[in-house]
Amino acid sequence: MKRMSLTTRMSLMFMLAVTAVLTVAGLSFSNLSRHHFKMLDQQALNEKLISSQKILTGMSSINQFSEFKPELEALLGAHRDLTALIIDGDGKLLFADPGPVNVPEKFRTRINKDLWEWSDQRQMYRGMTSQISIVGQDKPLTVILVDDVTQHMAFFETLERWFLIGLVICALVSAALGWMVASNGLRPIRQVTEVATSMSAKSLKERIPLTPVPKELQQMVLSFNAMLSRLDDAFVRLSNFSADIAHELRTPVSNLMTHTEVVLSRKRNIEDYEDTLYSNLDEFKRMGRMIDDMLFLAKSDNGLITHEIKSINLLEIVEKLIEYYRLLAEDRGISLAVSGKGCATGDVLMLHRALSNLLSNALRYTPEGQSITIDVQQKELSTVIVVENPGTTIAPQHLERLFDRFYRVDPARREGSPSNAGLGLSITRSIVEAHDGKIWCTSTDGKTAFHIELPSIQLPTA
Amino acid sequence: MRLLVAEDEPKIGTYLQQGLTEAGFNVDRFTNGKVALQYALSEAYDLLILDVMMPGMDGWEVLQKVRASGKDVPVLFLTARDRVEDRVKGLELGADDYLIKPFAFSELLARVRTLLRRGCSAPSQTHMKLADLEVDLLKRRAIRSGKRIDLTAKEFALLELLLRRRGEVLPKSLIASQVWDMNFDSDSNVIEVAVRRLRAKIDDDFEVKLIHTSRGMGYMLDAPDSESE
Repeated sequence: MKRMSLTTRMSLMFMLAVTAVLTVAGLSFSNLSRHHFKMLDQQALNEKLISSQKILTGMSSINQFSEFKPELEALLGAHRDLTALIIDGDGKLLFADPGPVNVPEKFRTRINKDLWEWSDQRQMYRGMTSQISIVGQDKPLTVILVDDVTQHMAFFETLERWFLIGLVICALVSAALGWMVASNGLRPIRQVTEVATSMSAKSLKERIPLTPVPKELQQMVLSFNAMLSRLDDAFVRLSNFSADIAHELRTPVSNLMTHTEVVLSRKRNIEDYEDTLYSNLDEFKRMGRMIDDMLFLAKSDNGLITHEIKSINLLEIVEKLIEYYRLLAEDRGISLAVSGKGCATGDVLMLHRALSNLLSNALRYTPEGQSITIDVQQKELSTVIVVENPGTTIAPQHLERLFDRFYRVDPARREGSPSNAGLGLSITRSIVEAHDGKIWCTSTDGKTAFHIELPSIQLPTA
Repeated sequence: MRLLVAEDEPKIGTYLQQGLTEAGFNVDRFTNGKVALQYALSEAYDLLILDVMMPGMDGWEVLQKVRASGKDVPVLFLTARDRVEDRVKGLELGADDYLIKPFAFSELLARVRTLLRRGCSAPSQTHMKLADLEVDLLKRRAIRSGKRIDLTAKEFALLELLLRRRGEVLPKSLIASQVWDMNFDSDSNVIEVAVRRLRAKIDDDFEVKLIHTSRGMGYMLDAPDSESE
């Protein structure tokens, strides 16, 4: 089922709320006034009944009735709507003013002080019955007072009809008002939607302006803008990456082409050909390695480097790596020092590779005769590995981007061995992030340090 | 030694055949999976090299059928796809090793030799000798021309590896993996330094050089007069 539009929903609810309030108010008003009228009627009838009783008890015998009649008429005849009947014990009508009314039998005998009401066809009556004992009579007289309340009732009916009509009109008007309020109130949403709809890959730089947006929507707009920034960032990275791949592959391919063509341009001796093939082989190896690295990064971007989770002694890994790199370090008079200890969970081979890249990187930039320190610190919730080497201080604006693919602090320089394509640190970061860790770089006073923080959840030892 | 190569890409196939033939193997090459399977079942090969993607029948199916027929011949997979599931699948089906394209030929050769050697476990030697170089594996001692050579543990391990596989060009990646347990693409300059140091101890003072560099491919230990296998 299609959901109702927000505007429709809001106007409907508005209408329902108004109708409900009006109905409750109307019903209470109607009931209260009915009750009030009834009380008034009862009071009036009661008074008359008491007065007639006084007159009638003043008689010494029933024969005096005609003497009292004018008095009764004066009392009871004043009201147009009031009818009074006095019946003697044998059922004979003694008095009827203004004329006899057909009072149902059951009310004639109901002599308590209750108000009773009945209606015949169009008329509606309220009445009271009382019995008065007269001296010398064994059977009491029955006095019946009847009030014709047809007009009251007609008034209530009219009132209710108008109230109903008013209610319907109010409901319609409130629906219309609700619709106006809702569509006005929802206008900012529509504006936000319009901006969002107009977004495309090319306009990822646009942001939804925050100032005209009401407070309730600001959080949503902020999240949306944040999402746009992330998308834009990823998009820019992706396009840069493709451009970088093209560029990085173009260099070796053009080297290969030029070299091969030059060598083939005239006859040479066998050593020259051999030389060319060897140099081509180096170039091919470099390209092959770059493809491997890029595939690795692509896989890690898609969360495909499924690593096995094991408890790992980081110090062991570092010591193994130091043993490997010691030869290279000694060759350049660099000393390697390791301190501390710590554990992490993850894939041994991956972490090995990540740390190997850092160490290899550090060796590349450390001046001869200096020393690299590796510190493993076990903290409460994490393990931090710091690889620190002396070397040129890296400017702060480069620190964050150091882990970007193919990023070089100095674009004109290709540091170190030709196999260094600028992917090592990216790979290290991918691996660290696949382990839910963090990596960052600090560089001050001629010392550069790479920090890796890995969560150290202890696995139950199998 | 007779090898079967099933590879539909003509260039790689031809060069594989040439390279392996020149390395002393007898190579039959097929470009169709079905034909390759027929031969694999009817002839006696020492090793199968299978490409995954092939017309007729893919490498996995060939492997499955070969294993189903009860043949225990070692199988090496070549694949352009490097997905973990692919590797797991290959190994589950009973492949012995896999190589991801692009690969270095020296790497392939080293792996082929490893697989072929696996079947006939070398007698546990305690002494090895090459020209005037003698190595005592138990005492971990090397002597050349009667002169004791002091080696570090890793240098000894490197020498032992080169000696066990004398006459073979060992790629740097294989040396890094076997001696230092670096099972990923690591800084290969380290191997250069390690070999240079070993060479300084083993070769520098002697007329006859035993350690040879195969440029761009790797290192080999061999006496000049001994014939290659």
